[in-house]
Amino acid sequence: MSRSYDRALTVFSPDGHLFQVEYALEAVRKGTCAVGVRGKDVVVLGVEKKSVLQLQDPRTVRKVAMLDDHVCLAFAGLTADGRVLIDKARIECQSHRLTVEDPVTVEYITRYIAGIQQKYTQSGGVRPFGISTLIVGFDPHDSKPRLYQTEPSGIYSAWKANAIGRSSKTVREFLEKNHKDELSREDTIKLTVKSLLEVVQTGAKNIEISVMESYGKVTSLALSEIEAIVADIEKEKEAEAERKRSRLAATAAGQAAMSQRATEPGPSS
Amino acid sequence: METSFALTGKGYVIIAADTTAARSIVKMKVDEDKIKALGPHLLMAYSGEPGDTVQFAEYVERNIRLYQIRNTYSLRPSAAASWVRRSLAESLRSRHPYSVNLLLGGYDTASYDPHLYWIDYLGTISEVPFAAHGYGSYFALSLLDRYHNPEATLEEGLETLKRCIDEVTKRLVVSPGKYKVKVVDKDGVREVEI
Amino acid sequence: MEAISHAGTVLGVLAKDGVVLAAEKKVTGKLLDLSASTQGGYGGSGEKIFLLNTNVIGGVAGLTADANSLVNFCRSAAQRHLLTYNEDIPVELLAQRLCDLKQGYTQYGGLRPFGVSILYAGYDPHYEFQLYHSDPSGNYSGWKATCIGANSGTAQSLLKQEYKDDILVKDAIGLVLRTMSKTMDMEFAVLTLDPTTKTPKAKIYRPHEIDALLLSEGLTKKDEDTEMKSS
Repeated sequence: MSRSYDRALTVFSPDGHLFQVEYALEAVRKGTCAVGVRGKDVVVLGVEKKSVLQLQDPRTVRKVAMLDDHVCLAFAGLTADGRVLIDKARIECQSHRLTVEDPVTVEYITRYIAGIQQKYTQSGGVRPFGISTLIVGFDPHDSKPRLYQTEPSGIYSAWKANAIGRSSKTVREFLEKNHKDELSREDTIKLTVKSLLEVVQTGAKNIEISVMESYGKVTSLALSEIEAIVADIEKEKEAEAERKRSRLAATAAGQAAMSQRATEPGPSS
Repeated sequence: METSFALTGKGYVIIAADTTAARSIVKMKVDEDKIKALGPHLLMAYSGEPGDTVQFAEYVERNIRLYQIRNTYSLRPSAAASWVRRSLAESLRSRHPYSVNLLLGGYDTASYDPHLYWIDYLGTISEVPFAAHGYGSYFALSLLDRYHNPEATLEEGLETLKRCIDEVTKRLVVSPGKYKVKVVDKDGVREVEI
Repeated sequence: MEAISHAGTVLGVLAKDGVVLAAEKKVTGKLLDLSASTQGGYGGSGEKIFLLNTNVIGGVAGLTADANSLVNFCRSAAQRHLLTYNEDIPVELLAQRLCDLKQGYTQYGGLRPFGVSILYAGYDPHYEFQLYHSDPSGNYSGWKATCIGANSGTAQSLLKQEYKDDILVKDAIGLVLRTMSKTMDMEFAVLTLDPTTKTPKAKIYRPHEIDALLLSEGLTKKDEDTEMKSS
């Protein structure tokens, strides 16, 4: 198969770009949006779910995968690439346990995944993985939630909150504005849903939420729970708008009153 | 010397293994757990060359866990047993074969019945209603022949197991002192005291 | 992907007690000798619908040569699973195996991707009857009823209207035949459980059995045939 190694090598363009890697990033940007938010002792993954067609089996369309008891991964980009990369990571998780008896740390598996992604930007005859990933979890014997991101280029980084995929920039800006340290469980989930609603117009049925509360404790929220949160947020938004409107009305009234007073002849004059 | 028993009953499998780790004629440890839970409904007792046993058991454990994470459901007992047997058979034909004897018991959540497999280091497998490895087997098998009942309740099953253990303690010169007993049924895996 | 949109339609419907698969055969020519396939084998003309394992049948759409090699791969993968685990391969796992291969062909250089979509209809004790679809990029998903190949869009919307969640095999057969009614020549297969042994039983229909089936469903293919002959 020596033939398969002589083509599709990722090469530098004259101005220093790796086009293949940038195309891969483009694939990521087309993918569905995924959000990760770290709270005080909880970390939440939220993903935009493409609407499941009426005759499709929803079990088979999932974007959050468990890598080990204590690590979860969400990805944006090409689903098939995601599956293959997840498979490699899962093998490494078990292999790591077998060789050193300890489960992987979240950073270790992130570095491993990023390492694979990097390898595919440099080796001959392959194209890079067209996915970015968000990896969340807890290290063994530790209560601090972790959140990492990897990219097709092989870069990885730790975050308090981040988004990947379609319109991730908007979501990230939203998170930057609204994220606080030490969020409670409820607030973390709410922030995740809220930020996803920035890009998901269709509401709860296209959102999937996974919550990891401590080492090995993962729950994915039922549709009804997400619906409740969405309704809550809508209500809040409405109240906010209402307040704004009344405030606007108040200031308008005030201004009107003032201008009226200005035109009225003063008692002194 | 190392001894392990297992028997099936109505909806459960009991597996018992001694807890001694010995080197030649010296007992090094008396609280070794030689029964591993390989999944929510799967138990494996291992005996044989010390070192080999733990190494192989961990290898099996990790591979079965990997299958479970990949597919969200675990291997059925028969499939797990076939895989384990194959691993041993491949190992036997390698340069450094594992010398491990196993009892694999599980509850099949798809067909709702218990299964027990007897596997030895040569890669022999057979599905059996009761089984034993080690010197204890010479005493236990005849007892199990007489007293085993596939319809027995868990209490009756444990009673039969106790007979075996008592007999081995009574007759075997190098009988082990303590046993660990685990049960697998529809509710999963748990340890029981006898 | 383009190759598939021109290929003969393959249609699958998942029922409560089985799965139904049908495929349109493109008529190659009148002189094609089909006698071997009408007589022998396990039924079918071995062109679009294949037995992948005792518990899985597959319907392919796309480049026939690619499809043949993929079917071969599927069958070996299924046998490999049987050899290591002594059980029939779970349907989703088989779909995954093939998708991993297809994905590899999109990522590694020097090779072109397979131009084939496949429907898998199968049974395993974990999820019972299942229907999966995989495309050339290596994506797969599970379905209650779906369609690939030419005119799959219209067939899909027809299925969406007519499908009911607790449909039975005998109704599913009718649904499939009605959806495929425009098709003259087809292959047809049903996977059910053997009532006595409770093991999966695949039946790939022989041409004369399909004719009988069409007749019993009141979809007379005969008329069109005579029309064709008279014209």
